[in-house]
Order: sequence, then C-alpha cells, then structure tokens
Amino acid sequence: MRAFGNPRLVFTMAMSVLAFLYAPILVMMIFSFNDSTYTGLPFNGFTLHWYRELFSDQQMLFSIWNSIYVAIGVVIISATFGVPAAIALDRFEFPGKGVFRRIVMLPIVLPGIITGVALLGFYLTIHFRLSLHTIMLGQGTGLMCVTITEVFARLQQLGRSQTEAAVNLGANEWEVFRHVTLPGIRSALFGAMLIVFSVSFDEIAVTFLLTGRENTLPMTLWSLLRREVTPEVNAVASLVVVMSIILIVCGMYASRRQETSAGES
Amino acid sequence: MTTGIELKNLRKMYESHGHAAWAVDGVDMTIGAGKFVTLLGPSGCGKTTTLRMIAGLEIPTSGQILRDGMDITDQPVTDRDMRMVFQDFALFPNMTVEENVAFGLRVRRMKGSISESEIRKRVAQFLDLVHLADHGQKKPHQLSGGQKQRVSLARALVTDPKVVLFDEPLGSLDANLRKIMQIELIRLHRELGKTFIYVTHDQDEAMAMSDAIAVMSGGKVAQFGAPREIYDRPVNRYVASFIGHAHIVDAEVDGRESGELTLRLRNGERVALPHQNTTAGVGSPVGLMLRAEDLTFADQAPGAIGGRIADSLYRGEYIEYVVELHGGAGVVHVHSRTDTPLVRHGASVALKVNPAKAHVLVH
Repeated sequence: MRAFGNPRLVFTMAMSVLAFLYAPILVMMIFSFNDSTYTGLPFNGFTLHWYRELFSDQQMLFSIWNSIYVAIGVVIISATFGVPAAIALDRFEFPGKGVFRRIVMLPIVLPGIITGVALLGFYLTIHFRLSLHTIMLGQGTGLMCVTITEVFARLQQLGRSQTEAAVNLGANEWEVFRHVTLPGIRSALFGAMLIVFSVSFDEIAVTFLLTGRENTLPMTLWSLLRREVTPEVNAVASLVVVMSIILIVCGMYASRRQETSAGES
Repeated sequence: MTTGIELKNLRKMYESHGHAAWAVDGVDMTIGAGKFVTLLGPSGCGKTTTLRMIAGLEIPTSGQILRDGMDITDQPVTDRDMRMVFQDFALFPNMTVEENVAFGLRVRRMKGSISESEIRKRVAQFLDLVHLADHGQKKPHQLSGGQKQRVSLARALVTDPKVVLFDEPLGSLDANLRKIMQIELIRLHRELGKTFIYVTHDQDEAMAMSDAIAVMSGGKVAQFGAPREIYDRPVNRYVASFIGHAHIVDAEVDGRESGELTLRLRNGERVALPHQNTTAGVGSPVGLMLRAEDLTFADQAPGAIGGRIADSLYRGEYIEYVVELHGGAGVVHVHSRTDTPLVRHGASVALKVNPAKAHVLVH
C-alpha cells in the first residue's frame, strides 16, 4: 500500500513530535555534565562534578532510597491483591461482577489529587500516622488496577483449557496456580510490575498529601527546584531516565521471550 | 456391578443476558465399561456439555451421573479418575513433553503413592506407546499438531484412568493426520481396554471408531445404538440425513400385506418393500430413505423408480449421479462403478432399490 500523504511531510511531522518529546530530556542530560553552577549555556566543559555532588548529598540519596522503598512496597501490594482479583474476574461469575470490574478501574480516571485528599481525610479520621507506608497504601490500592488489567487480559488470552486439564489430572487449586496460571501470566505480571514501579517512583499528587516526615525523590526535587536549579537536579534526573529505559527494555525482552515459547501451543 | 457410566435424565441450563436455555435437555444413556462410545451431533447439540458434566467440569442443573452404580454427580473433578483429551491439546507450554505427561503423576493426589523412578518409567512407557519416545525433552511449541495431540493422549493415559474422555481431539488436525490418529485411537482402545467417551461432529470418525453412537440434537439423544444400526435404521429424518448421504423421498403408505409394504410416491409410482418394522398405517405419510450406494440402474422392471439424470460427478472411486425423480417426487443420488458405461446427462433411467437396505421413516 502506498503511504498516506506526502512521505517527506509525514517524516518531518513525526520527527518534530519526537524532538519535542525527547530533545528537552536530551538537553537536560547534556547539562548534567556541564561545568557550571547554572543550568544553561554556555557549555563550559565536561565534568562529573554534579554526579559526585549527588552521591555525597545525603538528603538526595535518602529520598532516592525512599522512592525505591515505596515503589517496591507498591509493587508488592498491587501484585498481591491484583492477581487474585484478576483471576476472580476471569474465572468466576459472581453477583456485581460488572460493577466490581469498573470500580477497580476507577483510579485510572480519578485525578490523583482527589484520591490523595480522600485518603488523607480517611487516615486522619482513623488516626493513622502519615509515613512512607501511608504513601505505599495509597499508591498501591490505586495502581492495583494496572496489575488487574494486564493480568486479566493475559488470562483471557490463555483461555481455560489448561486450567481444566490440570484440574482434570488431579491438581488442587494451589498446584494449578503454581504450575499453570503463574507461568502463564508471568510476563504480563512482570510487565505490570515494571509499569507500577515506574509510575510509583515519580508519583507526586498522592504522595504530596500523604507524606510524613520522609520525602521521596520527586518531593525532594520539587523543593530543590523552588530554590534554585543546579545541574545536580539534571544529574539525578538523567540517572532516573537511564534506569527507566533499562527497566523498560528488560520488561519488553522478558515478555517477548515468553510469548514465543507460549505462543502457539 | 460393572455397568460403566450411566446418565439419568441429565440436564444443564445456561443463562445469558436473562435468557435461559437448556444446553442438555434430559439425556439418558448407559455406557458399558470398556466400550468406545461417541456423542455425535452438530455444534450446539449439547454433546460437549454432556461430556464436560461427566468429567465434572460442568455442574448438572438436574439429573444423575452414575459410575459402576455409584452416584458421582457431586464428586469433585479431581476425584473422578477420568482423564480428558482436549481439542486445543491444553498442554502446559512451560513444561517439556515429559513434564507434561508426568504432571498427573506428580500432583498431590498421587504423591507418595508412586516413586520418582516409577514416574520416569511410566512416562517413558507411555511416550513410547504414542510413538514420541525421542521427543521427551522438547517443549510443546516445538511439536506438530499431531504430536501435541499424542502428548495430550499420553498425559491422559499415564495415570491409568478407567475412563478417557475426548472433546473433538482431532478437530484441529488436517484430514490425513486425522485418519492416522483414528487408527491410533482404535489401537489404544483395543490394547488398553478402557472406556472411551468421544465427542465429535464428524460422522465418518464416529462410524469408524465407535462401538455405539449417540446422535444428539437440541440437547437430547435422538438415537443411541451401534453404528450399523444407526446407519441402516435411523429413527427419524434428522438422524438419517446427519449420518451418511441419505436422500429422503416423501411417500405415503399404500398397502400393508404380510411381509410386504407398498409405498406410493408423489408421482404415483409404487415401491414395494419387504416387511418394515414400522407402525405406519395405510394412508399415513412417511419418508423413504434412499442411500446412494443402495440404488442401482435397472431396466424398466416392475417396482423400479423412474427418473432423469440431472448431473454426474466423477469422484474417482465411483461416479455419482444426481437423479431427479419423475413428476417432482424428489432427488436422489446414485453411486455407480467407474467401469460401467457413463449414462448421459438428461437420459431417462429406472432405479432399483436394494430391498434389504431401503428404510421407511415415520418421523
């Protein structure tokens, strides 16, 4: 089929969109190596000074660790509760199933700030002390819908006959889950965990309202930026970008590999 | 008492969007131990639902399933000791062929009662039985369709169940492979002496393999009997047209005398048949089932049916003639040997009915 429209025009448009998306990030990464106390031109020379600065900045390191800690907790919560929910949706008929399906998807549409305010009110009412764990709970329940959607889609695609074959051969519920369901959904679950991790890592709306004394990375960056923009911020942002790319590539590779082996059987 | 499987007024209702429909509507059947029984019918006739209820994968709405006289209607799937072979093979993609076959032996139910070395021995023995001894280390996606179905078969048989259930197991294989697998299945049934309950919509498959066939329609069993009985003496027009290539000509009972039944076709021609086991009285409308292989061209003999050749099809093994009966009485097909002279298109012919095979349908 002939390409739609003028190929050169289409190419230019695509390139401008990509440039608009990624050029700022690239510029930011370049300036993290700039030997200057300000983010901006001129480029005075290459330095790793800001990375050294970053790794000796206790507050920054601490908030990075906090972010990782929260993200891991969120991944665990969303997987622990999301997988059984997805299995229930796929396998069982129960009253109110349609409503349940829509309700668990709600956090995707709901603005984070609303979820945050609601949770804050709830925690205060039941006298929950705000901490990293309240952030975890808040994000975890919200991001569960990502796990449910991904895993549910995979379960639908897998169909029921493998499960039935296992039960027919005498496997109990746990054995079916361990040997059939889990291997079947593994790559989808892994992909969902990566998405949840990266969304949680830079989440700010819910976190802003639910945070206690400790700060996560986006919160620290936010407060830093209000005072001044040093290339240290560029350095930490560059690291986050690189880490995200690595995670995404890992996730894609893992799911691709499993699809080829599960594909046609 | 070894009566095998007994189904008593088995029913299953499905509800979707507020509509309730009976998928299985009162099935009564006795499947003898060690028999090869086929549930045959078009899609939606309830055959698969019946099989799944026997397996325990569906819960009957009402009715009973008995096994050797014992009620197993409410017994969980895992306790039934019946193994199922699925149309889509349902192999576990993350396991090797060996692990797939060993699965039923390794799950908790069998654990402890059988040693790991015994498991290996049995797996090897059954892979050998289905001619896959060299493929044990492969993953399912490395196998062809026929090989996958053999793995699925070995996986079902290795646990030594008394009953093996087949849900259109050859449905996704091509025609040649299907023929080879049919022979394989008959061999396994003969060698292992297990009860096989088989679901298919392919009447050739059902005829070739089964001890008995249950022809199903609309959730009910239309006829249950040996293949020969169903082929030669179908109980109604539905069964007659579903099995083989029967053409049914409308007729009316013209006379009953001892040992002879005379039918009058719509064009006024009369056909005399030896005594038929039918209750149809004089004047009642019936259908005369005429199979292509039971009709022969005859000279204008008394009792022959007249018609005109409308088409002829060269089939390799035989020539198939489409014959329009005179006076719009119906259309029949005639199979003729290829070494006989070709009858011209449009020629008038007379057909003789094989009296031993002609069959009168009341319903």
